[in-house]
Amino acid sequence: MMPVSSRPQDSADRIYFTLVALIGGALMIYFALVPVFGLNVAFHFYLMLWITMASAFNVSSGFSGYLPFGYVAFYGIGAFTTAILVKKAAFPVFLALPFSGVAGLVLALLFAPTLRLSGIYFGIVSLALAGICRLVITNMPEEITGGSFGLQLGSRAHPVQSFYVMMAVMVVALATILWLSRSRLGKALRATRDDADAAEMMGINVPRVRLYGWMIAAFFPAVCGGVEAWYTNVVDTETAFNTLITAKTVIYAVAGGLGTVTGPIIGAVAMVWLDELIWRQFPLLNLLILGVATVALVLFLPRGIVGSILRRKPQWRRYVP
Amino acid sequence: MSIAIETRGLTKRFGGLVALDGVDLQAAAGETLGIIGVNGAGKTTLMNCICGLYRPDGGDVFISGERVTGQPPHVVAHKGIGRTFQVPRVFRKMSLIDNLLVPVLDHRASDAELTERAEGMLARMQLIDLRHNYAEELSGGQQKLLEMARMLMPDPPIVMLDEPFAGVHPVLCKFMIERIEEMSGAGKAVLLISHDLTSIYRLSTRVVALNQGKVIAEGGVDDIRGNPAVIEAYLGT
Ligand SMILES: Nc1ncnc2c1ncn2[C@@H]1O[C@H](COP(=O)(O)OP(=O)(O)O)[C@@H](O)[C@H]1O
Ligand SMILES: [Mg+2]
Repeated sequence: MMPVSSRPQDSADRIYFTLVALIGGALMIYFALVPVFGLNVAFHFYLMLWITMASAFNVSSGFSGYLPFGYVAFYGIGAFTTAILVKKAAFPVFLALPFSGVAGLVLALLFAPTLRLSGIYFGIVSLALAGICRLVITNMPEEITGGSFGLQLGSRAHPVQSFYVMMAVMVVALATILWLSRSRLGKALRATRDDADAAEMMGINVPRVRLYGWMIAAFFPAVCGGVEAWYTNVVDTETAFNTLITAKTVIYAVAGGLGTVTGPIIGAVAMVWLDELIWRQFPLLNLLILGVATVALVLFLPRGIVGSILRRKPQWRRYVP
Repeated sequence: MSIAIETRGLTKRFGGLVALDGVDLQAAAGETLGIIGVNGAGKTTLMNCICGLYRPDGGDVFISGERVTGQPPHVVAHKGIGRTFQVPRVFRKMSLIDNLLVPVLDHRASDAELTERAEGMLARMQLIDLRHNYAEELSGGQQKLLEMARMLMPDPPIVMLDEPFAGVHPVLCKFMIERIEEMSGAGKAVLLISHDLTSIYRLSTRVVALNQGKVIAEGGVDDIRGNPAVIEAYLGT
């Protein structure tokens, strides 16, 4: 038996972990049953993908204070890594996917010097670097990248298997971010985000902490790119490096609220549903309406759904993951 | 008494401006060294050079006899030096508790132990009821107290306070003065910057007067009080 303690912190923790278990459990059971009950696998596959992307992005922007406008670079590099390894090196998909993650980490290391920039300068350089990644891949020999036709993975497609792999990736990503949000590294990151010089003078090794956060933020989109390549069975530079991927990731994360674990999850769920609804009702106007909805959201809930609630209810901050 | 902190010939230039010009000073454990000077004398720059935020153009900084010149601020911090800022620099979107944990993140003690220590510290600073608030929700004076608490968390043997009383309510000033007395009482070397002479004269064991980056006088409170160079620097010619 654990000793029963009446410290308020412990009861806050109890509520926190109950919420984690409830939300996490509900998410997992729901998604696990999607193929079983013949629900829309494609829709839910992408829902999980966007939850993962928005959550990983949150590590960079919400926890660390960086806005990488070229976030899609990690996704694209991951997509091509899996596609090339599977198609050209005859790797089994399950072996190729971890290499996508590694490719994301390597790219994060290559981009690490840009972490010295801040604000809009970092964002613009990040956008330019994503463009360069895309150019490099576009100009690689066709025998490797498939040129403008892209790479077809052929008979490897397996929607249900890839669905569950996506689910595993999402669960690992969320668990990592949940850990991060309570860990000492997470506190160091937040301090660095709020005032890097002050954090440094309090003994935080700022460049190192930033690099760790950056690598976590890069790893998951790269794996997502790989899983999506497997799921759709085709990869080309046009879609794998599409700026809309960054835009959606940012919008979903911001809609839910940066800085909390639940924010990007709720943001992605709300916005992907909204997108789907609008698309079904108004197939021609869906981008316009989605744009208006996004603008309205930013105007009325500038801190996102979760962020705005916690602003009004500061006493809930301790309980909400 | 052992020298906790020492600078030798510390010099810092910003373009053509010489902000620090060969500053020598020493402070021993348990001593409060007051640093006075009008606005722009170089007091804050001195602190920034000591803690590694600025790389001095000349001279050296020693902490407990060890040369730390040119080391990055996080390395210098780990040598046992903490500080506050003229304009508070709290971690705005973090709770008070988390603010206090930042300087001890690499300590071996468990999270529970550190949290308990942080709560004790907040209680001493009369901020305990706000411990889950974000730092940005505090008033300016409270942010100064939070900075003091954060500075004290790793129990550094050397502390540097940059204008702790500037813009602070008199009641809070008195409270802060008591906390600073506790620090030197606990054997810390305190570097206390202020352009307000009354509080400096009350707290300091010794005073260094800076003007245009140069030490123009140094000594006990009584020596400084009557020093013509200091009077001239303060009142102008
Ligand atoms: N980062 C900086 N860049 C350029 N000049 C600076 C910088 N920091 C301080 N200075 C200049 O150095 C001189 C000393 O400033 P400071 O140390 O802030 O004075 P004090 O704290 O005594 O009021 C001032 O003339 C100030 O303008
Ligand atoms: Mg100053």
